[in-house]
Parts: sequence; C-alpha cells; structure tokens
Amino acid sequence: MTERVASQSVSLAGKDIHLSFGRNPVLRGVDIDAPAGSTVAVIGPSGSGKSTLLRSLNRLHEPDRGDILLDGRSVLNDEPNRLRQRIGMVFQHFNLFPHRSVLDNVMLAPRRLKRLSANAARELALAQLDRVGMRHKAGSRPGALSGGQQQRVAIARALAMGPQVMLFDEATSALDPELVKGILALIADLGSEGMTMLVVTHEMGFARSTSDTVVFMDHGQVVETGPPEQIFEAAETDRLQRFLSQVL
Amino acid sequence: MRLTTGKLFALLATILLTYSLAPVAPARADTNLCKPSGKDGAIALPRKLATAYRPQEDKYTTADVEPLSSVNLDALGLRTPRTLTVGTQPGGPPTSCLDSAGRYTGYDNELLRAIAAKLGLHVVFSGTDFFGLLAQVAARRFDVGSSSIMATEARRRTVGFTNGYDFGYLSLIVPSGSAIDGFDALGPGQRIGVVQGTVEEAYVVDTLHLEPVKFPDFTTVYTSVKTHQIDAWVAPAMEATNVMRPGDTAAIAGYTFGLGNYVAYAVDKDNQPLIAALNAGLDAVIADGTWARLYTDWVPRPLPRGWHPGSKSALTPHLPDFAAIAAQHHRAIDEAAPPKSTLVQLRDSFFDWDLYKQTIPVLLKTGLPNTLILTVSSGVIGLAIGVLLAVAGISRARWLRWPARVYTDIFRGLPEVLIILLIGLGIGPIASGLTNNNPYPLGIAALGLTAAAYVGEIFRSGIQSVEPGQLEASRALGLSYRASMGLVVIPQGIRRVLPALVNQFIALLKGSALVYFLGLIAGQRELFQVGRDFNAQTGSLSPLVAAGIFYLLLTIPLTHLVNLVDSRLRHGRATTEPENPLDRIISTTSQEMT
Repeated sequence: MTERVASQSVSLAGKDIHLSFGRNPVLRGVDIDAPAGSTVAVIGPSGSGKSTLLRSLNRLHEPDRGDILLDGRSVLNDEPNRLRQRIGMVFQHFNLFPHRSVLDNVMLAPRRLKRLSANAARELALAQLDRVGMRHKAGSRPGALSGGQQQRVAIARALAMGPQVMLFDEATSALDPELVKGILALIADLGSEGMTMLVVTHEMGFARSTSDTVVFMDHGQVVETGPPEQIFEAAETDRLQRFLSQVL
Repeated sequence: MRLTTGKLFALLATILLTYSLAPVAPARADTNLCKPSGKDGAIALPRKLATAYRPQEDKYTTADVEPLSSVNLDALGLRTPRTLTVGTQPGGPPTSCLDSAGRYTGYDNELLRAIAAKLGLHVVFSGTDFFGLLAQVAARRFDVGSSSIMATEARRRTVGFTNGYDFGYLSLIVPSGSAIDGFDALGPGQRIGVVQGTVEEAYVVDTLHLEPVKFPDFTTVYTSVKTHQIDAWVAPAMEATNVMRPGDTAAIAGYTFGLGNYVAYAVDKDNQPLIAALNAGLDAVIADGTWARLYTDWVPRPLPRGWHPGSKSALTPHLPDFAAIAAQHHRAIDEAAPPKSTLVQLRDSFFDWDLYKQTIPVLLKTGLPNTLILTVSSGVIGLAIGVLLAVAGISRARWLRWPARVYTDIFRGLPEVLIILLIGLGIGPIASGLTNNNPYPLGIAALGLTAAAYVGEIFRSGIQSVEPGQLEASRALGLSYRASMGLVVIPQGIRRVLPALVNQFIALLKGSALVYFLGLIAGQRELFQVGRDFNAQTGSLSPLVAAGIFYLLLTIPLTHLVNLVDSRLRHGRATTEPENPLDRIISTTSQEMT
C-alpha cells in the first residue's frame, strides 16, 4: 500500500454495516457514502448509532457484517492499524494524553508509526499546531488548556498522521458555547481544503451551511440522506420532521 | 505538629551529637547479660523446692558412646562438610545469646563449640526464633539446634536429641508484693506467663494443668511481670536470675526442677551418625573438665541429685560447692532493694544513652545496609511481578486473569509472617543447594512475592482508572494495542498510583524485619534484629528505640515524598517535570510559554 499525500482526496463508504453489542443491535444495515473531498454531516437523536458508525468505519468496532470501502477498495482485510493511520478521528472529549505535552501529543504517532526522526517529527508537529493556531502552547500540558484549545490540539494530532479522511465525533458538544464557532470554522476550513470528512454533529447550522450531504440516522439505520437544503427544507419522513422540530 | 517535629529533630540531633562527640564508652558492666557470671554468680538449690526431682525412667540417654577416634567426619550428613551449621535463639542469656561483639555465645553455644573442637568440626551459628528452630533442624536447614532445648517426648516426634548437657531448673517470678508465694499457689484464673515453645510452657500445661499466657521471649515476659500485666512468670531459673536487677519490681517466689527431661542439642532424628558423634564429643568434654569449666562460668548451680551430663557411662564432673558459694554471696536478687522510681525505670528502659552508643554503630554498619538490601531487592521483585500480575489481571484472556486473581487472593490474604515462615522453612530445604543456606534469597522472595500481590492490585486499579477514551484515541491514531498501553495508558496509570506504591514500599521496609524468623548470622541482621539482640542482651528497650529511630529516619522522608507526589498529581505539575525517557529529547526543546 502506498501512502498518498493528504491533499489527494479519497472517498470513504460503508455498505450495509451491521454491528451488535451483545444482543443489542446498534447498527442495522447502514449505507453511507462520502465521495472524495466531500463533507458528510451525520445527524440524529442520541443513541441512534452515529458515533458507533464512525467507529466502525475505522474499525475501532469491527462490523459484524457489511463492507468498508476506502478509495473504492474494501479495507476489511487490511491491517486495522494501517487503516487507522489513513483515517483521522477527533473525539467529543478531545482525549488528549494528559501526561504528555501538547507537542508530544502531536508528535507521538508520527514518531512511532512513520519512524520520523525527532527533529522531523517536531517540525511536522509544530506545522500542524501552527495550522490550528496552537503553536504557542506546544510546551504546555493539555490540562492547562481550555476546551477549545484542547480540541484544536486534538485536530492537529489527527492531521499529523496525514490522513486521507477525517472523522469528527461530536467535536463541539463538550465545548463552551463561545468556543464552538472557532472549532466549526476550523473543521469547515479543512473541508474547503479538500479533506473528505464525516462529521457527527448536533450543530444543525453547521450541517446546513458546510456539508455537501446530510445523513439522518435513527435506531441504527439511515432514515434519510440528501443535500442539506433537501433535508432541512423538505424532510420526507415523520421521524426526521419530528427530530428537526425538536432541535431547531 | 510543627513543634513536635521540631522536638523530634532536636532529640535526634542530640542523640547523633552525643554519639559523635563522646568516645565509645565500654559497655556498662551491669547491662550485659550475655557474659559468664563465674562461680560467684552461683545460685543456691531451691529454698522453696516445690516439686521434688523424680528421675523418671530414662530410656534415651545412651549407655555408652563410640570412641572419638572412630567418628567418621565425612559421614555426619552435614550441610557443609566438616562444618556444624547451628541454629540458636540469641535472646536467652546466659544459655544462648549474642554478645556485644556479635558472637553467638552462652553456655549452650560455648559447650557446642568445645564439642565441635573435640570432633574437629567448624561451627557456624545463625540466630533464629525458638518456635521455628526445631522445624528448621528437622528440615536440616540447621545441623544442630542449640538453645536450652528440653528433650521432651513431644519434641522427639520432630527431631532427635543428643544426651543431656543441662537440666530444667525453673523459677517462679512474680510482681513485687504479689500474694503468690510458690508454685503451689498457682491456680486457674491467674495470668501465668511463659515463653512459647519452652519447657516452662510444657510444665504449666502438663504438670500444673493451667493455661499459660505465651510470650515470644524472656524480655517481653519479664517486662510484663514488672508492669503487673501478668501474675507470674514460670521462668528458666538461670535466665530469670540474669535478667532481674536490684530494684526491679519483681521477686522470685520459688524454684522447681523441670520434668524428668534433660536439656540437649536437637538434631534431625534420621541423622544418627551426627547424634552419636555429638554424644562422643560431649563425653569427651566432660572427661577433660571443659564441661565443668563452662558450666561453672555460665550456669553455676548444683546438679540435681541423681543426674549427670553425657552418657550413662560418662565421668561424673567435678564442680565447686555452689550451694556454699551462693550462701556466702547470697545474691542481691533475693533481698529487697528499694524500688526504683517510675521515672528512673522509664529512663533505664527507653533512654539508656550508653546503650544507644553501643547500638547505633551496629545499626549503622549492619542493620541499615541489610534492611536496605532486603527492602530494595524485594521491592524490585514485587514491582516486576506486580506489573505482570496487573497486566494478567486486566487481560481479556481468562487463563491469564484467573491465575493472577488466585495469586493475589492468596498472597494478600495471608499474614506476611506466615508466608515468610512457609517459604523460608518449607522451600528452604529444597532450595538450599541454590541459596547456600543463606536465608536472604528466600526472605527476599517471600517479601517480594507478597509485595507483588499488593503492587499488582495497585497497578491494576491505576491502569483501569485511565479513561477508556485514552486507549481509543491512541488506537484511532493507528498505534497498536501494545504500544497504546505502553505509551499512553500504563504511564498514566502508574503516575496515579505513585503515592500508593510509595506506601507499599514503606510497608515493605517495615516488613523486612520479619526475615528474622528465618535465622540470620550476625552479619545478616537487619535493623530490627540488631535492636532485638541488644534488647535481649541487656533487658533494656533502648536498643529497640534506637532501631525505631532508624526506621523513622527512613520512613518519614518517604511519607513526605508521598504527600509531595500526591499534591503534585492533584494540583498539576510544573512543566519542567522530567518526561518519559522515550521522549526526553523532544520535551527539552524550549517552547514559548504563556
């Protein structure tokens, strides 16, 4: 497998993904498609399986059934660690490593997985921190940072591996309201640079303004898919209409 | 709190200053119990002889011995060829004790040296606890047990005995002013102290049919008499006479001879060649007068009628007329000396400066290094096995989790002293080829294995307290499970449990004293046993206080280190904190700071 440069967009798709935790079916045949360079917003009520879907796409949870296609090719038989290097992920609670400095957080994976020299890894990490406006905090501990700053570092950490696709799992849900905008802007910038992105979000404004496609999930299934104007202006199903009336 | 700490340090400073300025004074003569009294120390035959000596049918004393010249030194089944490895209980002066020069001596041990010299054998002594001694002789960790051991029927089931070299001679010690005036006055409802595992205990149980209060050693039981915590002490007469001082708040209420049994050396009962050789040596030292000289030096008192040491055909030794000597000197012990004031008693017990000066150099030179060796090596073992246990304990594989669980349950659920005895005495004989009869490896193993159970639980709880999001984030970056655990989860878990680990280390430091039960040669003694030996030698608690100060000097800084680490973890840390060594290069890079 040859590494592609990050700027070269690739597509990510899930086909008929099933996943159960014990006897509890969480994903019940989900189809999702993010064409190269597109931004897909995933919306839906809590417990609808949105986060689990993201985790099955990078095989943090192995799907029971179905297929995952990255750049049009099934990756279910690939080495999962290699797959995850190509798919970056950002979490609701940032999950920075608190015992390491900001710089170390960003350097760790490139240093270990790409076998970069210390100097090269540091240059790379500083460049990514610069990109999210956090270079000045490189020496700090995550605990000394605000939530918004931590999430910026988390994004830089994911970008440092040069992923071809980014997954955002409610990246702004744990932030104070005044910090949400900055992070959303950062994510939108990434999209406009051509990164293929799947964004699980409760920010309907963001889904409407920034995404190319909106996917509405409920009870482990995709209920409606379409461009934002169709989803938000002309919802077809009762469930979506009810959901929108509750969140808007 | 600050004032108390200040005082403590002032006290310590005073002790150290006194010690460093004062020339080392010779041991104050009257504090040393571990030296021969000479014939002038003779005690008379019992004035209040409760039970007349009734020689029972003696079916064990041999009629004769083989000639010394026919002893085959290579057929004695010794652990080390031509060397007698001897276990002795150092806390029983004048019969067995450790003198201030660190030599195991006393009547029992000096006589054994003389016998060994007759046979042409070397002797190596190890100090151990009385109740573990016979088991260790039976397991051949020691060739010979030498500690005024009564050759009773019950003990003959475990070990074999030589012919007798001494006899049981008991006295009854009571607090001053007690109504108990002799053995006949003992009855149910009284607290009668004995040293556990001794013939005195057997006497109280089998002859008096009473339930005794058991103590680990003479010093403790005597202190309990003086402080009225028990009503009486059934004591070996020589030892009791030795520990009693004029002015003590205790008195001798009576004497008696022990049962028909005599005092002998214990040997593995399957090792008849060694028993025969020692019997031959004993008769030889009786014949040349050595026995009489040592007996007169250390335990001068008349022989019971009808008894003499050695085989039935051994010569009857020639002894001075102890009864007459005792009548001349009539030792002060029987006379009422003015009782000492409580303050003076306290000072003598706890703050005997001469004793501090005697004890501290040995604590520094012998005790401290040994305690540190024991603690650090068992700590390393505990950490290594503890990490494995923690990893196994959080494993998803049942075949890993289950054994870790069982191990932890067993080692956490047993008293440490029990584990030490089981491993030291149980595995000792099996591993003796590897350990060369040195109790340290087994003691360290026992301490380390116990610590591992606790350390494992500490690590496991620490690792499991790390949020699952940490592992998830690391895995999402493409790091393997192993790398994620090693770089992200475990380092965080360990940091959280550092305070608990230091506490465990402190517990280990204190627990290292238990190695004492396995029997140590003089140079192997750790802090506690050094203090204990001086305590047994002198009857004063000051050496124990000195040992205690050493423990505090080690543990108090550690305790404060815990608090420091704890508060740093709680309130965040400086960014200058040393990093994971893997990334040291990276973190030292200077960054712009806010």
